[in-house]
Amino acid sequence: MNIEISGLSKIYPNGHAAIKNINLQIGSGMFGLLGPNGAGKSSFMRILVTVQKATSGTILMDGMDINTHRHEIRKLIGYLPQDFTFFSKLKTWEFLDYAAQLATSLKRKERLAKVDKLLDQVGLLDVRDRMANKLSGGMKRRLGIAQALIGEPRLLVIDEPTTGLDPEERIRFRNILSDLSQKDVTIILSTHIVGDISSTCHNMAMLNKGEVAFKGSPEGMIEQVRGHVWQILLADDEFDTIKAKYPVVSTIPTEGKWEVQVIANHQPHPEAKVANPNLEHAYVFFMENEFGVSLV
Amino acid sequence: MMSIKNILTISSYESKVLWRNWFFRIVALAGVGFVTIFNLAMFSEIDTPEWGDLSNGWILPYASLLLISIPQAAAVIFLATGLIKKDKKLDTNEVFFVRPISNLDYVIGKALALFKLFFLLNFVLLVIPLIVGLTNPFATINPMAFILYPLLTSIPSIIFTTGIAFLLVTVIRNQPITIVLLIGLAGVQLIYYFDKFSNILDFISFRLSMLASEMTGFVDIGFALWQRIFYLVTGIAFLFITAFLLDRLSGHKAAHKATALTGLALLLLSSFIMVNLWTMRQEPIATRHEMIVVNGRWTNVSNIEIARHAITLEWVGNEIISTSDMLVKNNTRALLDTIYFTLNPGLMVDAILLNDKPIAFNRDMQIIFLSQGIRIEPGKEANVRINYHGAILESAAHLDVDQKRYEEANDFLMFSLPKKYAFLEDDYALLTKDVLWYPDTEVGYNRISASKKRQSFIDFELNVKVPAGQMPISQGEVVITGDTYQFKPEYPLPHISLVIGAYQKKEITVDSVTYSVFHYPKNDFFLQRLNHLGDTLSYLITDVVNEYEHAQKIVYPFKRMQFVEVPLPFTAYNKIYESHQAFLQPETVFWPEEGGEIRQFDFRRQLKDMNTQAAKTNQVLTDKQKQANIFNDLIRKVFTKQIGEKWVFDGNNVDNPDYSLFPNYYDFNSGIVSQDWSLLNRSMATYLRNDKQVQNDYSRNINGISFTEECNDLMRTSSMTKILTEAEFSKINKSVTLKSQYLFSYLGQTIGEINFKSFLYEWVNTHQHQLSRYEDFRKEMLSRFNMDIDPIIRKVYSETSQPAFEIEDVQKYEVMDGDRKRYQVLIQVKNSGSSDGVLELKFNSKENTDEGYYAKVNEEVKEEAPGKLSVIKQGETKLLGFVLDEKPNTVAINTIISRNIPSVINIAMGTLSKREGGLLFDGERVVEHKKESTHYEVIIDNEDPGFSSFSPIKPTMLRAFIDSRKDVEQKYFGEWDSSYALWLATTGSDFYGSVIRSAHFTRSGTGQKIATWTPALKEEGFYDIYVYMRGKNQNTWMGRNSDGRQFDYHYIIHNSDGTDNIKYNITNAEPGWNYLGSYYFNKTGGSVSLTDKCDLWTVYADAVKWVKQ
Repeated sequence: MNIEISGLSKIYPNGHAAIKNINLQIGSGMFGLLGPNGAGKSSFMRILVTVQKATSGTILMDGMDINTHRHEIRKLIGYLPQDFTFFSKLKTWEFLDYAAQLATSLKRKERLAKVDKLLDQVGLLDVRDRMANKLSGGMKRRLGIAQALIGEPRLLVIDEPTTGLDPEERIRFRNILSDLSQKDVTIILSTHIVGDISSTCHNMAMLNKGEVAFKGSPEGMIEQVRGHVWQILLADDEFDTIKAKYPVVSTIPTEGKWEVQVIANHQPHPEAKVANPNLEHAYVFFMENEFGVSLV
Repeated sequence: MMSIKNILTISSYESKVLWRNWFFRIVALAGVGFVTIFNLAMFSEIDTPEWGDLSNGWILPYASLLLISIPQAAAVIFLATGLIKKDKKLDTNEVFFVRPISNLDYVIGKALALFKLFFLLNFVLLVIPLIVGLTNPFATINPMAFILYPLLTSIPSIIFTTGIAFLLVTVIRNQPITIVLLIGLAGVQLIYYFDKFSNILDFISFRLSMLASEMTGFVDIGFALWQRIFYLVTGIAFLFITAFLLDRLSGHKAAHKATALTGLALLLLSSFIMVNLWTMRQEPIATRHEMIVVNGRWTNVSNIEIARHAITLEWVGNEIISTSDMLVKNNTRALLDTIYFTLNPGLMVDAILLNDKPIAFNRDMQIIFLSQGIRIEPGKEANVRINYHGAILESAAHLDVDQKRYEEANDFLMFSLPKKYAFLEDDYALLTKDVLWYPDTEVGYNRISASKKRQSFIDFELNVKVPAGQMPISQGEVVITGDTYQFKPEYPLPHISLVIGAYQKKEITVDSVTYSVFHYPKNDFFLQRLNHLGDTLSYLITDVVNEYEHAQKIVYPFKRMQFVEVPLPFTAYNKIYESHQAFLQPETVFWPEEGGEIRQFDFRRQLKDMNTQAAKTNQVLTDKQKQANIFNDLIRKVFTKQIGEKWVFDGNNVDNPDYSLFPNYYDFNSGIVSQDWSLLNRSMATYLRNDKQVQNDYSRNINGISFTEECNDLMRTSSMTKILTEAEFSKINKSVTLKSQYLFSYLGQTIGEINFKSFLYEWVNTHQHQLSRYEDFRKEMLSRFNMDIDPIIRKVYSETSQPAFEIEDVQKYEVMDGDRKRYQVLIQVKNSGSSDGVLELKFNSKENTDEGYYAKVNEEVKEEAPGKLSVIKQGETKLLGFVLDEKPNTVAINTIISRNIPSVINIAMGTLSKREGGLLFDGERVVEHKKESTHYEVIIDNEDPGFSSFSPIKPTMLRAFIDSRKDVEQKYFGEWDSSYALWLATTGSDFYGSVIRSAHFTRSGTGQKIATWTPALKEEGFYDIYVYMRGKNQNTWMGRNSDGRQFDYHYIIHNSDGTDNIKYNITNAEPGWNYLGSYYFNKTGGSVSLTDKCDLWTVYADAVKWVKQ
């Protein structure tokens, strides 16, 4: 699916501008949306899934305007909201079947088969008869992804999928998404956890304070920071000086000294060596460089 | 816009969620339990159910549905608001919001989920009465009732409640506030608008009249049906509007608009229905108002009178086609150039012929007038024929009934019945004169002049054509020719009635009067229950008739007495100028379908109670005797009123049905017509009617004074004319009754009671089947007793001044009269009021034994000794002497109209002292002085300035709220509601007082509330102190059978030596003065106080007496 977003803004009645003039093109595959809490990711995604209206700007999905073709677009999307607690008193399979009935027009038998298949895929078949609200947090997330997938959507919008999951659950979740991205499906994944994006997305955008700070591939974003990541071995007193001046990305104590990685436009210390950047470095770089204090 | 598949999906899963909701499960379980208990208690043979509950097959499901209606609405409000609310913290809704469903699918789906569950619950709940009904051989099951009532009651209620709950929670976005609002709305409807505006606002249909009759099925269901449709449509409209306002972006703009438009269209439709409902309600009110105005226009226009009236009537479903042939006469002294007739406004006049020639006529609502080419000389007669057809407008009936009474509910068991004044249905007809179904020349109620009374009785004839299988019932001998029934009454009658239905008839002739019972074929329960009476029935009837005619001293004037079963909704009212309700028609009494709520028709329970009573008293009764008792009970309690009511709340339920046969002895047989004294005939009927008195009236226990005293008070401040036009009907009715009693008692006393009564009986018996003119009656009185009654009547009806009686002394002795033990009672009474007065004294020699609950079956009421009357002129003191053969237990002194409170003073005779010798005094004489006590004494009553009360206790919040809502100042309060915080005044015979006998009372407490009597003594010295008591344990219910428990009052005596606290045992207190102790008192500074500390519920503070030693 091709999504063209142009000039998208959302201003809430209290005057708060959640997103400002976003222009993006999103194609098939996984698309990561990175940004700190409050960056406007959720507002953006809620607009994408037709739960909320933008104040201005347009979104075209395969050429259909989201405002005028809401019903058609709803047939194409699956959505897993950030804060997802289930209806009480529905069993796992019932919940999924409820979603299946609304999203598909399959006959009962096929539908139930599909429900079970999907439950199997997300590893919930064993608990199909358990009440959905009795599931663990990770299981709930997986059920969430299952309900988002049940209608075989062409666009899957997932808001903060791994928050609160343990590492094992998180890996499992990423794998499910990676499998999906092999098909012709657009998956938009919003997160404030850099690792979620670096391991799965080929395309991404970074949002901060409602604006796009970066768009492109994660590698591209990493490239932008190359030459700005420095590694230094520092004594205690020097460490404090450096810490006060530059954003420190990592600190490892070694033999009475500190092995420190910092982001700086210029060599911050005579002994500083340029280090290999990663997405996390890029994230910090963008946060600080574009929107925060300027780097000395 | 709407997808059935989506709706069904949503409803199926949402109902699953609701079904698993603990709240719903508790509600459902409670409902099932409650309905089961209710049905077992009311309709099962666990206890013998009331016949009224079982007889009507429509009741069984309807009762359960009514019972659950209010809690069900509350449950729907709770669940519905929870179902649609959008909790901002949960995004769960949003995964459904992004599905390709419309807002309407979402809302309707959720609503449907709720409906499904509640409909299912209703179904389950209805199975309970069905099972109970099927297992009770005496119950009537009507399958249609089980289908129709849920459709009429629950379904529209649930849909409306869901709709309004969805809408409000969507708009307000707060579930608790919405719940409070909606529960409040239901509460306001139930409290403030209960039975108001014809129950248009009753969305729960708790009071809407929808009970069908077994005889006629649903009648006039139109209003109720439209009301239900209104709530159904409004509920659906609200669902559409909720979908429109739902906080979710719509899929299609067009669909969104269409949802709004549909919602609005439905709202428009429901508004239209509401307008229609309002019109249905207002139309009769407007018609009645207009008719009253029209009557006013014609009331003073002279008219002809009808001498003969032959009606030919064909009944064609909802209409009648009639011809009236009348012989009319000008009985006025002037030439008449306009004549007029009254006729129901629903009936169309086709043609009028005067002396066989067609004549032009005009119409003014119910008045049809002929004014062209009319010249009827005084004394001349003419023949008038009127052809008319059409339906009957029931609102034309009972114009004299004010709107409040007209709209008051017609309660039957737990239901509110529709009020029907006539029936003209496909399968049933009932027409009384009240609906003007045939032409007459009498103008009805208006506000210009008092109801014009009929000037003569009419020779009627009625020919009725009915379809096969239907039986018409009217007055007179009937001759059947094919499908035509000809009724020819033997005597002139004031009016006739017509009932047509699939009746069956049972009849018996006793002493040349034919008694017949007309009943619907299915309603023959009485035949089975009285099956042993066959050969004894004639004797039983003779006994009952003899008893009644002995009491009335008037012979039954007709050849037949018909007891006609009529449908439950048929309603009648009491009237000001007439002493009968529409249940009584000449030769006829209408009894309610299957006996209605009348206990005496509940033969099975009557029998059961009698068996219990017989077992208690070791009596052995044969089945026949039992049935005879049941039969007697029914006739004597309901129809001849020779068994009095045990308890009534006087002034309330003023339109309770009255089936007394008396109107057939007087109203339809005789009467005195007076232009000036329109109340006279009613007064005469009241005086002659000899019903057994009500034994206990509890209006005083509730209101502090009795209803009679309230009316006496009213008559002191307002003239009779003002009362008749302005007071509420219950007070008009009571005032008229009191005036009648006073007038005739006064006349009787002035002329001589026996002479006067025999004159009246003779008058009625010699003026049968005709009305007589007041002038003739007055002349006859003048010649017979040399007394002009006119000024007396004028005085009685016009005066507002009243007597006040002080019972100064009561002496009672047991004396030997030769070798006979007799009893002498001397009562000295002073009239200190501002007018002459009449006293009626009745001695009761029955020991006041507690007969228990079962005694009411087959009551053998001893013939009451007639009351002894005495006139005491203003300012006069009379000594009344009575020599009695039986030991009197109590004497009731009825002051009729007076300032006295209580107006009927009951004095216990207590122990009678033996007296040797002395003359017996039976009669009355005027005495000069009251016997003065030789000792100096001072009495402080609670009405005196020397009495004060103190309470530091604040009233409860509820009480303070209730008190703040009272708009009239109340001096006396009912004893059944003793105040927790205050000493309040109440009244009663047992209390001390001269004209007003009252005491203060309060709920007993810890001793904080204090009542104090402070005397101003002229002399200092030793005084004996007495307190006035009602007798043993102050006669309170709790202390009556104290089983050896002792009760005390706590007095504090402030005397010259200091303060003395006395615990005074009241367990065996005597009625009257009880000695408390002797103390030295200075002229001032002394007092007696009573605290509220007592183990009994209530403490009374009445009067204290200081007697100098």
